[in-house]
Amino acid sequence: MNLPDRTVLENGAILVSVALPSNPFIAFRGTVPAGVAAEGSEFGLAEFTSRLLLSGTRRMGAAKLADRLEGIGATLEFRNGDEVLSFQGRCTRETAAETVRILVDCLSEPAFPSKEVERIRAELQNDLRIEADDTHHRAVREVSRLVFPKDHPYGREPKGDPSRVQRVRRGDIVSFHEAHVGPEGLILAVTGDVDRALIDEGIATPLSRLRGDGGAEAIPPPRPHRPGSVRIPMPHKSQVDIVIGAPGVPRRHEDYYALNLANLLFGRIGLYGRLGRNLRDEQGLAYYAFSNLDARTAGGMWTISAGVNPSNLGKAIESIRAEMDRLRTEPFSLEEVRDGKENQTGSLVVSLERNAEVAGELHRMEYYGLGMDFLERYADIVRELTEERVRNLARKYLLPSASSIAVAGPIGRLRVPW
Amino acid sequence: MRKPLGEFPSPFASGNLISRARVPAPQMPTHVETLGNGLKVILRPIPDTKALSTWVVYRIGSRNEVPGMTGSTHWVEHMLFKGGGKLAKGDIDKLISRLGGKMNAFTDTDYTMYFETIPATALDTALMIESERMRNAAFDPKEVEAERTVVISEREGAENQPDFAVEEELWGLAFHVHPYHWTAIGYKQDLATLARDPLYRHYLRFYAPNNASLILVGGFDVAVAMQHIREAFGRLQPEAPPDPLRLAEPEQRGERRSDLERPGPADLLSVGWHIPGAAHEDTPALVLLSTVLGGWRGFVPFAAGDWRPRSNRLYRALVEAKLATDVGVRLESKLDPSLLIANATLAPGASLDRVEAVLDREIEKLKRAPPPKSELARAHQQVRAWARYEQDGVTFQGMLLSAGEGLGAWDFAEALLAKVEKVRPEQVRAAARRYLVEAHRTVVRFHAQEVPR
Repeated sequence: MNLPDRTVLENGAILVSVALPSNPFIAFRGTVPAGVAAEGSEFGLAEFTSRLLLSGTRRMGAAKLADRLEGIGATLEFRNGDEVLSFQGRCTRETAAETVRILVDCLSEPAFPSKEVERIRAELQNDLRIEADDTHHRAVREVSRLVFPKDHPYGREPKGDPSRVQRVRRGDIVSFHEAHVGPEGLILAVTGDVDRALIDEGIATPLSRLRGDGGAEAIPPPRPHRPGSVRIPMPHKSQVDIVIGAPGVPRRHEDYYALNLANLLFGRIGLYGRLGRNLRDEQGLAYYAFSNLDARTAGGMWTISAGVNPSNLGKAIESIRAEMDRLRTEPFSLEEVRDGKENQTGSLVVSLERNAEVAGELHRMEYYGLGMDFLERYADIVRELTEERVRNLARKYLLPSASSIAVAGPIGRLRVPW
Repeated sequence: MRKPLGEFPSPFASGNLISRARVPAPQMPTHVETLGNGLKVILRPIPDTKALSTWVVYRIGSRNEVPGMTGSTHWVEHMLFKGGGKLAKGDIDKLISRLGGKMNAFTDTDYTMYFETIPATALDTALMIESERMRNAAFDPKEVEAERTVVISEREGAENQPDFAVEEELWGLAFHVHPYHWTAIGYKQDLATLARDPLYRHYLRFYAPNNASLILVGGFDVAVAMQHIREAFGRLQPEAPPDPLRLAEPEQRGERRSDLERPGPADLLSVGWHIPGAAHEDTPALVLLSTVLGGWRGFVPFAAGDWRPRSNRLYRALVEAKLATDVGVRLESKLDPSLLIANATLAPGASLDRVEAVLDREIEKLKRAPPPKSELARAHQQVRAWARYEQDGVTFQGMLLSAGEGLGAWDFAEALLAKVEKVRPEQVRAAARRYLVEAHRTVVRFHAQEVPR
């Protein structure tokens, strides 16, 4: 892959792009700093805003907007996140300019029709109910709340709660949009069937017409985590979801790469690393048992997730704890670390085979300030990690006593041995 | 990993040597050759690509199972990651992981497929894994037992979702004779009692070169790849060809209904109409009928992710009207006659009767008048665009070719697209009149009960 192009437009928006001629269409991914972190204590506003951006603009109603996009075969989605409002889509060379024009209209001139606000309100209430009935979602949310306490943007439910959803008014949404959605802080990553002329004329030109306020505000660092344990009885379910979590590190933290490798070895590589080998492959306790490291601008979290039959709950939790303890008694071997490094360097080829994946990676490079040469440097970064550092960071961060746990499902009076 | 796969419409003509560029995407030459032992090889080289996706599709799915052994095809699929022959347990994981590759497998009603996407320089690793997997899987009794609870756990995870209950009920009610009656995961009571030996026999019977196709997409030279493929697979012995499936679902005479009352967060409606097998001449019109009614997300459901179409009749009539918060239409084209399914998640306060009445009204409209040309043009454009989006990288291309091959022909998507292009509005109405018939439909209504605390 060639080095990506990076352009700062006059209105402040940043456009990064790279051509992948073997994929016969264009994928894009972008963000503006209008996520949960921007809504302050006005919980739920960012979610309403993101869902309403396809509900019509000053020039087009929702139906016409959908007809225009799908009439040219393009896709466009908006989604709310902890830090940003993100958008992504697909189009072809021939429809790129039209698609970006529609994107700019949606971002800059949404109409927020009252009827649509009410429709989204009902949709959100339903989604909250559906999520409240989802064992994995419930457990993840509880652990996030414990790891990022005091309503930190990373810890709270991005949709708000039912009472808040009921109270949000159209005027609040309009004000939030005016204050936070604009070219300042906007990043758009584009890949696939593109060339310089198309980027300049078909994408940069319509994007440069975007006006408005916006810009990123600093996200406060999370308050200290006090480990806790939460039981969520859901007697009508078949399976129990276990989630265990603790603070990780921000994406730009010096520990990130070594911790990322430790996480890979612990619960991701192959069939979910050491964790999967123990719980799934050797004991047959779970269809899934894996770990995850989520690193963001101001903080991060690592988690373990497993879905088990309630009769195996105690055994599964004890096995997870044993694997965490084993990081001290039987640290990662030289061979494990070597395999992990080979996986990370080799995966550059495989993980960037799709337009959508490349657009996502390009966006991350710009968003976290990793540099446009990041992919060139990545293999060296991984190779330079020492075994000792990976082991030490696994011991430091993957610590049972410093972790919170939530279990959701048909747990009855079952003990949670944590 | 190793989850039942969504379904795909089916293919038509089998190709030979060169693909026909019927889509407005770049032409992609494809080499097709059959080895002496019956293994069909389909090679799609993509110059300047550093990745390679290797797929093997077996013509065995849950439709080949019998009562008492449901879920055995999927369980066999799980066992084929546990070594045998040159591969010890854990080797497949290790070999692919070291390469930074990705791998997975999917069991469908009609076929099972396995893939590895790896750096193109590691072709031999993928070929060795797939060659060993084809005939030499170990089926160690201890490993079979360990996997029993894993597949049951997979099923229990699905059971946590109300829509799984609806899906299982719909197929169970719509098919009384044909094995589409059960889903690929199988029944829990069968998973609890299946023994190792019948599973192993199931494997030996269906995992043979003459019941499989090997597909490669990515950075390789055709002549070199063919030489390595012959070395890896040429020695494998074929089995007697599997008997054709004799079971056929009799015509449904009268609507079938089921009302599920279970704890859940929202009422759900699912309606399935019988449609012909994918190779039927009406399938192109059904693609557009499905698109007009509920939008199009491609032949392979994975590429679309969470994107949902909005420019379609059910979205307008149900979601924009605040009767539902989500709708979807799936054309479940399969080897044998199958279903076209419309689903809705009801909005708070909406009634199942009302949503069903609106669905009926929309179906009647489709039967009464052909879709306007502008609407059909939009549907055509969606299908055309997704034909490109599904070419996103070597893995998706391999999946598309494999899914087509599993249903009869690797170039299914291209062939179908060419036929879809020719469909006229009147044919969409004719398909609606022929297939969206009350006597041929099955309705499942999920009445969400208060969730116990």
